[in-house]
Amino acid sequence: MKFRIFRSAEDQTGSGPVDPTETPRMGGQLLPEATATSKAKATEEPRAYEASDLPGPTVVDSPPVGPIKIAARDVSVFYEGKQALYDVSLDIPDKTVTALIGPSGCGKSTFLRTMNRMNDTISGAKVTGRIAMDGEDINDRSIDPVLLRARVGMVFQRPNPFPKSIYENVAYGPKIHGLVSAKSEMDGVVESALKRAGLWDEVADRLQSSAMGLSGGQQQRLVIARAIAVNPEVILMDEPCSALDPIATARIEELIDELRERFCIVIVTHSMAQAARVSQRTAFFHMGRLVETGDTEDIFQNPRERRTLDYITGRFG
Amino acid sequence: MTDATPDQIDGAAAKGRLDRLRAGLKRRHAKEARFKWFGRLAIAAAMVFLAVLLVRIVEQGHTAFYTHTVTVPVYMDPARIDRAYPQGSNFEQLAAEQQLARWGIQDDAAGTASSQMKALFSSELKFVAADLVAKRSDVIGETVPLAVPLSDDADLYLKGEISQSTPQDQRRINDRQIAWLERMQAEGVVGSHFNTALFTNGDSTQPELAGVLGAVVGSALMLMVTALIAIPLGVGAAIWLEEFAPKNKLTDIIEVNINNLAAVPSIVYGLLGLALFINWMHLPRASPIVGGLVLALMALPTLVIATRSALKAVPPSIREAALAMGASKTQTVFSHVLPLAMPGVMTGAIISMAHALGETAPLLLIGMVSFVPGVPHAIDQPVGALPSLIYIWENASERAFHERTAAAIIVLLVFMIIMNAAAIILRRRFERRW
Repeated sequence: MKFRIFRSAEDQTGSGPVDPTETPRMGGQLLPEATATSKAKATEEPRAYEASDLPGPTVVDSPPVGPIKIAARDVSVFYEGKQALYDVSLDIPDKTVTALIGPSGCGKSTFLRTMNRMNDTISGAKVTGRIAMDGEDINDRSIDPVLLRARVGMVFQRPNPFPKSIYENVAYGPKIHGLVSAKSEMDGVVESALKRAGLWDEVADRLQSSAMGLSGGQQQRLVIARAIAVNPEVILMDEPCSALDPIATARIEELIDELRERFCIVIVTHSMAQAARVSQRTAFFHMGRLVETGDTEDIFQNPRERRTLDYITGRFG
Repeated sequence: MTDATPDQIDGAAAKGRLDRLRAGLKRRHAKEARFKWFGRLAIAAAMVFLAVLLVRIVEQGHTAFYTHTVTVPVYMDPARIDRAYPQGSNFEQLAAEQQLARWGIQDDAAGTASSQMKALFSSELKFVAADLVAKRSDVIGETVPLAVPLSDDADLYLKGEISQSTPQDQRRINDRQIAWLERMQAEGVVGSHFNTALFTNGDSTQPELAGVLGAVVGSALMLMVTALIAIPLGVGAAIWLEEFAPKNKLTDIIEVNINNLAAVPSIVYGLLGLALFINWMHLPRASPIVGGLVLALMALPTLVIATRSALKAVPPSIREAALAMGASKTQTVFSHVLPLAMPGVMTGAIISMAHALGETAPLLLIGMVSFVPGVPHAIDQPVGALPSLIYIWENASERAFHERTAAAIIVLLVFMIIMNAAAIILRRRFERRW
């Protein structure tokens, strides 16, 4: 587990460096809330901002390096006519963890759900704009959402394993997509998915028992194993740790860091500390708009937008 | 903080606040205790009513579960039996006269004594004797003991249902017959035993021969038709409405109408069945197919509503999980949502089936109140059903049918208990799959 607690923006305004060791810890894990509150006491000294303080479509963007996996252009989402997302354009690089941060209701989860077309399942939801995965428009008529979701896996806020056995949970994806035929091959797929999710040692002797008997953190890792069992290209995570305790959170973050080498990961998180720890790229959303995006280090150290600074220093949100 | 006064005021205010809280707390606890007692009273009242009902039924019906048989020696008089057509011989008269002769009782010219004696035996005697002669013609000329049920009135007297203290003209069995009965009992030819006829026979005009088997089979056939039609249709409709149907005006109207249909009186379904299945489609009247169709129509709305609420109760996270894994809508519904909703669906199905089983009003309109002897074995033949049998027996003039009505009610209740038990077992099995 790497700790990437960056010097935050207030450092430059003269309040002195924030020593990460002074923040409350639990199980070697930084408490995200505690970090946020300590930052809230930052100085009120104004500084010059490069971008407008007013809410608007202005996006401060520093483009990522490396190949782009998903390119969103002018994506807007409407729920029963009410607009939830305004013209979001964002490049998501491959083999990288991209964090979507922002206050509640800012549209970050909505944006996440456009990438595997989960908004299709909500009646009255409409998505406009273009989202291209490897250059191919995923909202195109020729793209079957079923196939898309085999390529883009998703992990939800609350662990939601199927009320079946641990084995069946992991085997479900490969089974319905017909990726594996022989039983022995399936055993191998299940084992490697569970190993990659760091759950194998805990459940190897009870694969046939109910997934509902696992703890919350184990369930969430099982859900991750279930998602990676089909070898997706992208994994979307919607606040995967918000229902977990700090120790379980640490394990998931560790796991995310390992998975980054194979997958393109997009994670929505409420915890800025978590975004700082696990992501390389960060996008800040506010009131349905993408405000600022860039390398995580830059966003946390040098936010160019006032709202970004206010948010990451805990002045709102 | 240096000034003492605010502190004192604060202290007084805090004390006042605490007192108010305490007073309120007392009231809140009293309210809770009161509500608990109302609950207990309601349950107790329900239990009392249930107990009264059950005690009354069992008290009235338990005597129907045993009956009396008399064994009479009958000399198969060759002079009075037609070998070619034994069914035409008057075996009852023969047995009665021989019984009187054995006891040395002189009959009068009108045959009063023999007809009174005859009235003690069930008319079953004729059939038992005729069957025997038809099977073994060598019994003619010999004396054979025949075991036959006592007639319903004699049986009732022995069960203590007819009291000798009732004036003779107000009972169906007179003092002389009672004396004879007691003499037979003293001779040890009358035996009491479990009333198997009640469970092996169909309906009959003779109470001692009447049984519920015909009605049980009729009800079972009808219920089978109902289940085969209503469960797939109802569950299918509910799944479509809940999981697949677009939410628009049309589906709203359908939903409102289903809720309304659940409240339509069952007799209206009977009329519909009469008009639709019998008058228009010309399906056989009083048959399990028509009964089952009518009950299926009646059960459908309940089933749809129960299934929909069971589906609604499945957490959306399961649907999301399956969809996000790339399961199609159908895969999501049938391999994740429906199994989780299954216990609720089963409960709905069983409640609607139990309701259908006990339903009487629609059956009256499709001709199921007619007297149907024997046991049915096809779904297009006229049958009786348990509730209509209860209705018929309750209206019968013979007193012996009264205890049998109660017995039929017990059978109906046991039928329902068995169905519900089966449902609970099935539900457990579904639930055990997590």
